[in-house]
Amino acid sequence: MRYTYLWLMQLVTGVLIAVLLGIHMVIQHLEDILRFLGFNLNDPASWQSMMERSREVIWAGIYIALLAVVLYHALNGLRNVILELTPSARTERAITWTIVAFGVIVFAWASYVPIALLSR
Amino acid sequence: MHKEKAEPITFRVQRYNPENGGKPHFQEFIVPSSKGMTVLDGLIYIKENLDSTIAFRTSCRMAICGSCGMLINNYPHLACHTQIEEFHSNRLTIKPLPNFPIIKDLVVDLAPFFEIHKSIKPYILRDDLEEMENPSTEYAQSHRALESFLQFTYCIKCGICVSACPTSASDKQFHGPQALAQCYRYCADGRDDGEPDRFPVVGTDHGVWHCHLAGACSESCPKGVDPALAIQLLKRRMVSRTLRLGKKEPPASTLPPPVESKPKLPFPEFTVKEG
Repeated sequence: MRYTYLWLMQLVTGVLIAVLLGIHMVIQHLEDILRFLGFNLNDPASWQSMMERSREVIWAGIYIALLAVVLYHALNGLRNVILELTPSARTERAITWTIVAFGVIVFAWASYVPIALLSR
Repeated sequence: MHKEKAEPITFRVQRYNPENGGKPHFQEFIVPSSKGMTVLDGLIYIKENLDSTIAFRTSCRMAICGSCGMLINNYPHLACHTQIEEFHSNRLTIKPLPNFPIIKDLVVDLAPFFEIHKSIKPYILRDDLEEMENPSTEYAQSHRALESFLQFTYCIKCGICVSACPTSASDKQFHGPQALAQCYRYCADGRDDGEPDRFPVVGTDHGVWHCHLAGACSESCPKGVDPALAIQLLKRRMVSRTLRLGKKEPPASTLPPPVESKPKLPFPEFTVKEG
């Protein structure tokens, strides 16, 4: 049932991307609409606003979660595409582990930024 | 019956014999057509009158056996179920079904296709082996339960869905829509307990999870079966079982035979028995 979980995770991460990216887009780029609805974020795209948000645990959590789900969704999708063209089980294993290693390295590297900003 | 004479049709047939080497090439034949004539009739005319070496499969001539699947004007059809006049053209290009190895001319090797079909155990499996081998009585099945999988029982295993499937074209290990639809057909059958045997076979990277839902299988099926739907239902069923969601349908209950019914017929004497 391992493949069933992998596929289910692909669906779940797709939904999570829509939610987390939606939060990011609304807060960062739909300021006028938010103001119209009564929320004044006071220039959320400015450097000052971003630095203030980066010190909040909730924002660090949202961006690390977004990073994780995007990486899973993209790399698992890429793996599926590549596996369609690979004829041998040995090559499949090599591709899978290469992609897993790549994902872990990118996650560790990229999540360092919000964690470092949070601890400033 | 009076047959209305129509203009001659040019059959452009792909010829290829792997044993002789070379590459697939086309050969043209002029075939006199008549109203109601099928592509298979044209091929039989060629074999009987123009070139007896042309190879194609045929048997029932009524879209039941699934032998004469081929690519006609770049779309997979059963040759016996396709009339020449459907194409509104006096030129037909006929090729073997794609996604299968060619044996000769229009004959493709269906052995791998049937191997995959066999791997999903396309028959009723029950936990109680003794009852499965020697059923003591009938199993009750409501009309609703039957209709949940009935359309998938109409599959004639012609291979047309696999030849139309873009995933089968790129992934040679993909199980294909036919086997996956048949897997759902048996799993959805109330008399069956075979999910634990079938799910590990189809629940792989080259099984049910690799279907892109292009829908070409359902569009091309000459019997109107919807394998793409079966694959989606199979995915839902596998996720439900994995997450232990939903309620598993109770197995079909057994019914004592009606009092008025005749007793079970004994095996006839001429039946070949093992051992």
